[in-house]
Amino acid sequence: MGLRSINLPGIGTKYELETEKNDLIAIFFLKSGNIQMYTLPHDTPKPSVVEFSPGEARRLGTILSGAIMEADRESVEIAFSALSDLRISVHTFVIRKKMAGHSLEDLQVRAKTGVTIIAVSRGDKNVINPPPDFVFQVGDAVVAIGETDQLKKFEREILVE
Amino acid sequence: MEGIVLALFVCLILALITKRLSLPSIPFYILAGLLLGQSGLQLVASDSVSQFLTQLGLLFLLFFLGLEIKPDRIWHNQSRILQSGLIDLQINGLIGFLAAYALGFSLFDSVIVAAAFFISSTAMAVTSLIENKKLLMRESETIVWLMIFEDIVLIIFLAFIGTSTEHPLIILAKILVVLGMIIAITHYGKRYIISVLKRDDELPVLLTFSAVLGIAALAVSIGIPESFMVIAFGTILGTIDPIAFELHSRPFKDVFLVVFFVFFGISVDIFAGGVSIPAIIAVSLVAIGSKFLSGIAIGKVIHKSTFSGVEIWSNTIGRGEFSIAIAALYGSAAVSGTIAAMVIVTSIVGAFLAKYSQTMQNAMMKLKKVVPVTPVPAPAGEE
Repeated sequence: MGLRSINLPGIGTKYELETEKNDLIAIFFLKSGNIQMYTLPHDTPKPSVVEFSPGEARRLGTILSGAIMEADRESVEIAFSALSDLRISVHTFVIRKKMAGHSLEDLQVRAKTGVTIIAVSRGDKNVINPPPDFVFQVGDAVVAIGETDQLKKFEREILVE
Repeated sequence: MEGIVLALFVCLILALITKRLSLPSIPFYILAGLLLGQSGLQLVASDSVSQFLTQLGLLFLLFFLGLEIKPDRIWHNQSRILQSGLIDLQINGLIGFLAAYALGFSLFDSVIVAAAFFISSTAMAVTSLIENKKLLMRESETIVWLMIFEDIVLIIFLAFIGTSTEHPLIILAKILVVLGMIIAITHYGKRYIISVLKRDDELPVLLTFSAVLGIAALAVSIGIPESFMVIAFGTILGTIDPIAFELHSRPFKDVFLVVFFVFFGISVDIFAGGVSIPAIIAVSLVAIGSKFLSGIAIGKVIHKSTFSGVEIWSNTIGRGEFSIAIAALYGSAAVSGTIAAMVIVTSIVGAFLAKYSQTMQNAMMKLKKVVPVTPVPAPAGEE
């Protein structure tokens, strides 16, 4: 799978990628900031094209990186290839009845699952690094960080009733 | 003053409509100018204020062109730029010159028409490739490099065609001295300039605006071609931080360039030049035809395909900003009228043909009953 890039004056930067099955994907980062993606299957004469805004392109990137994404739960996996392929997932969850009314301390999230809750969003307020005595309410959105397995454990054992 | 405001509002409405229909706006600004000005209703006349704004539009157009020119990148791609570019130059330059000469223009005027005839609109070609989603086509890279070649020819043209009576070597020496000074200042002051550009107060915009005007004024006062100097200045500044300079000069370019186009139309008297309307229309049709010949020739040489030639043709028919710039700088009344009409006709026809080039090629294939060719994507080289 080869990846090539070229700079086209006046247009932007082109990245071209050929898959093992000889399908072609070309991505143009336009000077306007938008991104055009062309896909050309090897047996089709005409490419199909989509144009993204930068935000939409990032979302697509997240999906392609293999993270699960639904409307209320998004996750991003960050891979540090320099650090012996360290992979960290950042995931959002919405608090349901079981966790409501409990504090971080008595749920023992980190001790039981290894997951760290790094932020809570309640209404239009955000709490970064919630203290141990922080008490959850139904509907809070939390941002949790950990390995994929740890996050699954957290979802199975603590979040879900 | 009221005239400028009226012209601007007409352009604003035209911009809203043309963007909505994804048509090129340049021909409509010129048409609006023709209607409002000398050739039409005579509602607006150019005065010293509009002339100054018009000049700013031209300066910033050229400055922007300079920012886009990357000498090292052009050097690396010289073979592919030259091959198609020279075909384009020979065919269109020659046909343009002959057409103008046949209409009875003087030798100098014919050279001016030939230059305006040769140079396609870079802005329209790039917009067409992006909006019609044609970037993956192998022809698109050829078209982009062709535009770069045309821009370089324009720069050389602007450097040599001047009205100065001084000996060319003296002018060349002056140009080299000034360029040397600019390079020295930008080289040693690079850090300081970058720090000024990063500020979020009025300084970056003020610096960009006054530097461009300053270079133009300096060039005029010592008798060297100002348009060439502004482009060269842009190219040198492009080595520091092209994105910042583009950002800070963009509003000036956008607004003053519209003023430039509409007042070009206003000041042109299309009936005064002694060139009849049928002759002007004939020139415009020849302009479309000559790009067809050069497009097909380039398609056959580079891509070994007539269909590629049709694609290249359809995206390079539109003449635009640079043809008008040449007419505004050097054109007599008759030349300006002819070039204005040619820009209007070619850019509108070009926009439609570029949009329907695929349909056109399919129709051609049916006529010829050939097996459809699979478009081969352009190979991308390492940067």
